[in-house]
Amino acid sequence: MTATLTRAAATRLLAERLTREVVVSNLGQASLDLQQIADRPLNCYTYGAMGQCSSIALGIALARPDLRVVCLDGDGSLLMNLGSLCTIAAEGPRNYALVVWDNEVHQTTGGQPTATAAGADLTAIARGAGIEKAMEVRAEEELRRAYDRMLGEDGPFVVSVKVAKGRSEGRLDRDVVGHARRFRQALAALPR
Amino acid sequence: MADPSWSKHVADVLRRNGLRMFATVPDYIVSHVLEPLWADSECRVVTVTREEEGVGLLSGAWLAGQRGALLMQNSGLGNCVNALASLNVASQIPIVLVISHRGDLGEFNPAQVPMGQATGPILDALGIRSIRPGSIAELEAQGDGLIKLGYTRSLPVAIVLPPELTGGKQG
Repeated sequence: MTATLTRAAATRLLAERLTREVVVSNLGQASLDLQQIADRPLNCYTYGAMGQCSSIALGIALARPDLRVVCLDGDGSLLMNLGSLCTIAAEGPRNYALVVWDNEVHQTTGGQPTATAAGADLTAIARGAGIEKAMEVRAEEELRRAYDRMLGEDGPFVVSVKVAKGRSEGRLDRDVVGHARRFRQALAALPR
Repeated sequence: MADPSWSKHVADVLRRNGLRMFATVPDYIVSHVLEPLWADSECRVVTVTREEEGVGLLSGAWLAGQRGALLMQNSGLGNCVNALASLNVASQIPIVLVISHRGDLGEFNPAQVPMGQATGPILDALGIRSIRPGSIAELEAQGDGLIKLGYTRSLPVAIVLPPELTGGKQG
Protein backbone atom coordinates (compact mmCIF):
# COMPACT_ATOMS: atom_id res chain seq x y z
CA MET A 1 0.00 0.00 0.00
CA THR A 2 1.55 3.31 -1.12
CA ALA A 3 1.65 5.99 1.56
CA THR A 4 -0.04 9.27 0.68
CA LEU A 5 0.75 11.36 3.77
CA THR A 6 3.86 13.46 3.40
CA ARG A 7 6.36 14.03 6.18
CA ALA A 8 5.99 17.79 5.75
CA ALA A 9 2.19 17.65 6.06
CA ALA A 10 2.47 15.43 9.12
CA THR A 11 5.02 17.81 10.64
CA ARG A 12 2.68 20.74 9.95
CA LEU A 13 -0.21 19.01 11.71
CA LEU A 14 1.99 18.46 14.74
CA ALA A 15 3.33 22.02 14.72
CA GLU A 16 -0.24 23.38 14.89
CA ARG A 17 -0.71 21.60 18.20
CA LEU A 18 2.55 22.61 19.91
CA THR A 19 2.66 24.88 22.92
CA ARG A 20 5.38 24.14 25.47
CA GLU A 21 6.30 20.66 24.24
CA VAL A 22 9.89 19.77 23.50
CA VAL A 23 10.46 18.34 20.01
CA VAL A 24 13.61 16.35 19.27
CA SER A 25 14.21 15.68 15.57
CA ASN A 26 16.29 13.14 13.76
CA LEU A 27 19.22 14.09 11.59
CA GLY A 28 18.45 14.88 7.97
CA GLN A 29 14.91 15.12 6.67
CA ALA A 30 13.04 15.22 10.00
CA SER A 31 15.11 18.17 11.20
CA LEU A 32 14.91 19.94 7.84
CA ASP A 33 11.10 19.76 7.83
CA LEU A 34 10.84 20.88 11.44
CA GLN A 35 13.21 23.82 10.90
CA GLN A 36 11.32 25.01 7.87
CA ILE A 37 7.81 24.53 9.24
CA ALA A 38 8.15 25.49 12.88
CA ASP A 39 11.60 26.61 14.01
CA ARG A 40 11.45 27.35 17.74
CA PRO A 41 13.88 27.30 20.69
CA LEU A 42 12.18 24.22 22.18
CA ASN A 43 13.20 22.19 19.12
CA CYS A 44 16.25 20.00 19.64
CA TYR A 45 17.69 19.26 16.20
CA THR A 46 20.20 16.46 15.87
CA TYR A 47 22.89 16.36 13.21
CA GLY A 48 24.92 13.27 14.00
CA ALA A 49 24.90 10.13 16.14
CA MET A 50 22.48 8.34 13.82
CA GLY A 51 20.14 6.19 15.85
CA GLN A 52 20.43 8.21 19.05
CA CYS A 53 17.52 10.61 18.52
CA SER A 54 15.06 8.53 20.58
CA SER A 55 17.65 8.15 23.37
CA ILE A 56 18.39 11.87 23.50
CA ALA A 57 14.66 12.53 23.80
CA LEU A 58 14.40 9.92 26.55
CA GLY A 59 17.14 11.66 28.54
CA ILE A 60 15.27 14.96 28.25
CA ALA A 61 12.00 13.31 29.29
CA LEU A 62 13.58 11.72 32.37
CA ALA A 63 15.32 14.93 33.41
CA ARG A 64 12.19 17.09 32.88
CA PRO A 65 9.13 15.00 33.80
CA ASP A 66 7.09 18.21 33.92
CA LEU A 67 7.37 18.65 30.13
CA ARG A 68 6.06 16.55 27.29
CA VAL A 69 8.76 15.38 24.90
CA VAL A 70 8.01 14.42 21.30
CA CYS A 71 10.70 12.68 19.28
CA LEU A 72 10.56 12.74 15.47
CA ASP A 73 12.66 9.77 14.39
CA GLY A 74 13.09 7.98 11.07
CA ASP A 75 12.66 4.29 10.29
CA GLY A 76 16.31 3.86 9.32
CA SER A 77 17.54 5.55 12.47
CA LEU A 78 15.21 3.72 14.83
CA LEU A 79 16.18 0.41 13.24
CA MET A 80 19.76 1.25 14.18
CA ASN A 81 18.84 1.55 17.86
CA LEU A 82 15.93 -0.83 18.48
CA GLY A 83 17.22 -1.42 22.00
CA SER A 84 16.04 2.10 22.75
CA LEU A 85 12.44 0.82 22.60
CA CYS A 86 13.24 -1.62 25.42
CA THR A 87 14.79 1.12 27.53
CA ILE A 88 11.80 3.40 26.93
CA ALA A 89 9.48 0.58 27.99
CA ALA A 90 11.54 -0.22 31.08
CA GLU A 91 11.69 3.41 32.23
CA GLY A 92 8.08 4.08 31.22
CA PRO A 93 8.17 7.89 30.98
CA ARG A 94 4.59 9.19 30.86
CA ASN A 95 5.73 12.37 29.11
CA TYR A 96 7.34 10.64 26.13
CA ALA A 97 6.06 10.19 22.59
CA LEU A 98 8.11 8.69 19.79
CA VAL A 99 6.85 9.51 16.29
CA VAL A 100 8.55 7.58 13.51
CA TRP A 101 8.45 8.89 9.95
CA ASP A 102 8.45 5.52 8.21
CA ASN A 103 9.00 5.97 4.48
CA GLU A 104 10.63 2.54 4.18
CA VAL A 105 13.84 3.97 2.74
CA HIS A 106 17.09 5.62 3.77
CA GLN A 107 15.98 8.90 2.21
CA THR A 108 19.03 11.01 2.89
CA THR A 109 21.45 8.58 1.27
CA GLY A 110 19.47 8.04 -1.92
CA GLY A 111 16.42 5.98 -1.09
CA GLN A 112 17.81 2.53 -0.36
CA PRO A 113 15.08 0.33 1.19
CA THR A 114 15.08 -0.26 4.94
CA ALA A 115 13.83 -3.36 6.72
CA THR A 116 10.34 -1.87 7.01
CA ALA A 117 10.09 -2.16 3.19
CA ALA A 118 10.61 -5.88 3.64
CA GLY A 119 7.87 -6.11 6.25
CA ALA A 120 9.48 -5.21 9.59
CA ASP A 121 6.65 -3.79 11.69
CA LEU A 122 7.87 -1.05 14.04
CA THR A 123 4.60 -0.95 15.94
CA ALA A 124 4.75 -4.67 16.64
CA ILE A 125 8.40 -4.35 17.66
CA ALA A 126 7.49 -1.52 20.04
CA ARG A 127 4.69 -3.62 21.56
CA GLY A 128 7.06 -6.52 21.85
CA ALA A 129 9.48 -4.27 23.71
CA GLY A 130 6.70 -3.50 26.19
CA ILE A 131 5.24 -0.22 24.93
CA GLU A 132 1.49 -0.78 24.96
CA LYS A 133 0.48 2.50 23.34
CA ALA A 134 1.99 1.76 19.95
CA MET A 135 0.07 2.47 16.77
CA GLU A 136 0.55 2.68 13.03
CA VAL A 137 -1.00 5.59 11.14
CA ARG A 138 -1.59 5.99 7.41
CA ALA A 139 -4.33 8.61 6.99
CA GLU A 140 -4.52 12.23 8.06
CA GLU A 141 -7.59 11.76 10.23
CA GLU A 142 -5.90 8.89 12.09
CA LEU A 143 -2.83 11.02 12.55
CA ARG A 144 -4.84 13.86 14.10
CA ARG A 145 -6.34 11.41 16.57
CA ALA A 146 -2.93 9.93 17.37
CA TYR A 147 -1.45 13.38 18.02
CA ASP A 148 -4.36 14.30 20.28
CA ARG A 149 -3.82 11.13 22.29
CA MET A 150 -0.06 11.36 22.59
CA LEU A 151 -0.23 15.05 23.60
CA GLY A 152 -3.08 14.52 26.02
CA GLU A 153 -2.69 11.09 27.62
CA ASP A 154 0.04 9.47 29.66
CA GLY A 155 2.68 7.72 27.57
CA PRO A 156 4.99 6.39 26.56
CA PHE A 157 3.65 6.38 23.00
CA VAL A 158 5.07 5.09 19.75
CA VAL A 159 3.31 6.40 16.64
CA SER A 160 4.63 4.97 13.41
CA VAL A 161 3.51 7.17 10.53
CA LYS A 162 3.70 5.68 7.06
CA VAL A 163 4.80 8.62 4.91
CA ALA A 164 5.55 9.04 1.22
CA LYS A 165 9.11 8.78 0.00
CA GLY A 166 10.78 12.00 -1.03
CA ARG A 167 13.25 14.63 0.03
CA SER A 168 12.20 18.03 1.26
CA GLU A 169 13.34 21.19 -0.50
CA GLY A 170 15.69 23.57 1.22
CA ARG A 171 18.86 23.39 3.17
CA LEU A 172 19.36 22.36 6.78
CA ASP A 173 20.81 25.09 9.00
CA ARG A 174 23.68 23.27 10.68
CA ASP A 175 24.45 25.61 13.56
CA VAL A 176 25.25 22.54 15.61
CA VAL A 177 26.62 24.27 18.70
CA GLY A 178 24.29 27.28 18.55
CA HIS A 179 21.10 25.24 18.32
CA ALA A 180 22.10 23.03 21.25
CA ARG A 181 22.85 26.10 23.35
CA ARG A 182 19.60 27.81 22.34
CA PHE A 183 17.62 24.68 23.23
CA ARG A 184 19.31 24.22 26.59
CA GLN A 185 18.71 27.86 27.53
CA ALA A 186 15.07 27.73 26.44
CA LEU A 187 14.51 24.63 28.53
CA ALA A 188 16.25 26.12 31.57
CA ALA A 189 14.04 29.20 31.28
CA LEU A 190 10.81 27.13 31.37
CA PRO A 191 9.54 27.00 34.95
CA ARG A 192 9.08 23.50 36.35
CA MET B 1 46.01 -5.49 46.93
CA ALA B 2 43.36 -2.94 45.95
CA ASP B 3 41.48 -1.12 48.73
CA PRO B 4 37.86 -2.28 48.34
CA SER B 5 36.56 1.17 49.23
CA TRP B 6 37.72 2.47 45.81
CA SER B 7 34.22 2.11 44.34
CA LYS B 8 32.57 4.27 46.99
CA HIS B 9 35.18 6.96 46.34
CA VAL B 10 34.34 6.92 42.62
CA ALA B 11 30.60 7.18 43.38
CA ASP B 12 31.26 10.03 45.81
CA VAL B 13 33.35 12.00 43.31
CA LEU B 14 30.46 11.78 40.84
CA ARG B 15 27.78 12.72 43.37
CA ARG B 16 29.62 15.61 44.98
CA ASN B 17 30.04 17.17 41.53
CA GLY B 18 26.29 17.24 41.04
CA LEU B 19 25.86 14.19 38.83
CA ARG B 20 22.48 12.54 39.40
CA MET B 21 21.68 10.70 36.15
CA PHE B 22 23.58 7.54 35.35
CA ALA B 23 23.44 5.17 32.42
CA THR B 24 25.15 1.84 32.31
CA VAL B 25 25.79 -1.42 30.65
CA PRO B 26 27.21 -3.09 33.76
CA ASP B 27 30.44 -5.02 33.96
CA TYR B 28 31.96 -6.77 36.96
CA ILE B 29 34.10 -3.80 37.93
CA VAL B 30 31.73 -0.86 37.42
CA SER B 31 28.97 -2.82 39.19
CA HIS B 32 30.78 -1.95 42.42
CA VAL B 33 30.35 1.75 41.64
CA LEU B 34 26.71 1.22 40.69
CA GLU B 35 25.77 -0.25 44.09
CA PRO B 36 25.98 3.02 46.07
CA LEU B 37 24.31 4.88 43.19
CA TRP B 38 21.42 2.42 43.05
CA ALA B 39 21.02 2.78 46.80
CA ASP B 40 20.87 6.59 46.60
CA SER B 41 17.30 7.84 46.18
CA GLU B 42 18.56 11.09 44.61
CA CYS B 43 20.28 9.21 41.81
CA ARG B 44 18.68 7.63 38.77
CA VAL B 45 20.45 4.71 37.13
CA VAL B 46 19.20 3.63 33.70
CA THR B 47 20.38 0.31 32.35
CA VAL B 48 20.65 0.69 28.59
CA THR B 49 20.95 -2.07 26.00
CA ARG B 50 24.11 -0.69 24.40
CA GLU B 51 26.52 1.92 25.67
CA GLU B 52 25.88 4.28 22.76
CA GLU B 53 22.28 4.63 23.94
CA GLY B 54 23.65 5.93 27.24
CA VAL B 55 25.58 8.62 25.38
CA GLY B 56 22.34 9.81 23.78
CA LEU B 57 20.36 9.61 27.00
CA LEU B 58 22.91 11.51 29.08
CA SER B 59 23.32 14.11 26.37
CA GLY B 60 19.57 14.70 26.47
CA ALA B 61 19.67 14.91 30.24
CA TRP B 62 22.40 17.55 30.09
CA LEU B 63 20.46 19.58 27.55
CA ALA B 64 17.62 19.43 30.08
CA GLY B 65 19.88 20.66 32.88
CA GLN B 66 21.04 17.44 34.49
CA ARG B 67 24.62 16.19 34.78
CA GLY B 68 25.31 12.53 34.24
CA ALA B 69 27.82 9.74 33.79
CA LEU B 70 28.02 6.62 31.67
CA LEU B 71 29.49 3.63 33.50
CA MET B 72 30.83 0.86 31.30
CA GLN B 73 33.66 -1.44 30.38
CA ASN B 74 36.16 -0.21 27.80
CA SER B 75 34.60 -2.57 25.27
CA GLY B 76 31.62 -0.23 25.50
CA LEU B 77 33.77 2.74 24.61
CA GLY B 78 34.18 1.11 21.22
CA ASN B 79 30.39 1.00 20.86
CA CYS B 80 30.17 4.75 21.58
CA VAL B 81 32.81 6.26 19.36
CA ASN B 82 30.65 7.83 16.66
CA ALA B 83 28.05 9.15 19.10
CA LEU B 84 30.74 10.77 21.25
CA ALA B 85 32.34 12.35 18.18
CA SER B 86 29.29 13.47 16.21
CA LEU B 87 27.07 14.39 19.15
CA ASN B 88 29.14 15.37 22.18
CA VAL B 89 32.29 16.73 20.61
CA ALA B 90 30.52 18.34 17.65
CA SER B 91 27.72 19.94 19.70
CA GLN B 92 29.82 20.55 22.84
CA ILE B 93 27.73 18.41 25.15
CA PRO B 94 29.59 17.32 28.29
CA ILE B 95 29.14 13.91 29.90
CA VAL B 96 31.38 11.94 32.25
CA LEU B 97 32.58 8.50 31.18
CA VAL B 98 33.57 6.01 33.86
CA ILE B 99 35.37 3.19 32.10
CA SER B 100 36.73 0.00 33.63
CA HIS B 101 39.97 -0.85 31.94
CA ARG B 102 40.02 -4.49 30.90
CA GLY B 103 42.71 -5.86 28.64
CA ASP B 104 45.64 -4.32 30.46
CA LEU B 105 47.86 -5.50 33.35
CA GLY B 106 46.87 -8.96 34.60
CA GLU B 107 44.30 -9.65 31.86
CA PHE B 108 43.33 -13.32 31.44
CA ASN B 109 41.00 -13.03 28.42
CA PRO B 110 42.75 -12.56 25.06
CA ALA B 111 39.57 -11.09 23.56
CA GLN B 112 39.81 -8.11 25.94
CA VAL B 113 43.37 -7.17 25.06
CA PRO B 114 42.96 -5.28 21.74
CA MET B 115 40.37 -2.85 23.15
CA GLY B 116 42.47 -2.65 26.29
CA GLN B 117 45.35 -1.35 24.23
CA ALA B 118 43.11 0.93 22.13
CA THR B 119 41.32 2.62 25.02
CA GLY B 120 43.77 5.46 25.64
CA PRO B 121 44.38 6.21 21.94
CA ILE B 122 40.60 6.30 21.23
CA LEU B 123 40.01 8.84 24.00
CA ASP B 124 42.98 10.89 22.80
CA ALA B 125 41.81 10.76 19.19
CA LEU B 126 38.44 12.18 20.26
CA GLY B 127 40.11 14.90 22.33
CA ILE B 128 38.49 13.52 25.48
CA ARG B 129 40.57 14.44 28.52
CA SER B 130 40.98 11.46 30.82
CA ILE B 131 42.57 10.42 34.09
CA ARG B 132 43.68 6.92 35.03
CA PRO B 133 44.12 6.97 38.80
CA GLY B 134 46.19 4.09 40.16
CA SER B 135 45.12 4.67 43.76
CA ILE B 136 42.31 6.20 45.81
CA ALA B 137 44.64 9.08 46.65
CA GLU B 138 45.16 9.82 42.95
CA LEU B 139 41.44 9.56 42.28
CA GLU B 140 40.71 12.01 45.08
CA ALA B 141 43.43 14.36 43.85
CA GLN B 142 42.27 14.42 40.21
CA GLY B 143 38.58 13.48 40.03
CA ASP B 144 36.99 16.80 40.99
CA GLY B 145 39.31 18.76 38.72
CA LEU B 146 38.61 16.49 35.76
CA ILE B 147 34.85 16.84 36.08
CA LYS B 148 35.11 20.60 36.54
CA LEU B 149 37.26 20.80 33.40
CA GLY B 150 34.68 18.81 31.44
CA TYR B 151 31.88 21.23 32.21
CA THR B 152 34.19 24.22 31.69
CA ARG B 153 35.16 22.97 28.22
CA SER B 154 31.64 21.63 27.67
CA LEU B 155 33.08 18.35 26.42
CA PRO B 156 33.15 14.74 27.64
CA VAL B 157 35.81 13.59 30.11
CA ALA B 158 36.76 10.07 31.18
CA ILE B 159 37.77 8.41 34.42
CA VAL B 160 39.51 5.21 33.37
CA LEU B 161 39.63 2.64 36.18
CA PRO B 162 42.82 0.55 35.97
CA PRO B 163 43.30 -2.80 37.73
CA GLU B 164 45.83 -1.16 40.07
CA LEU B 165 42.88 0.81 41.54
CA THR B 166 40.09 -1.75 41.31
CA GLY B 167 41.88 -5.07 41.66
CA GLY B 168 40.75 -5.95 38.14
CA LYS B 169 38.87 -9.13 37.38
CA GLN B 170 40.47 -12.44 38.25
CA GLY B 171 40.12 -15.22 35.71
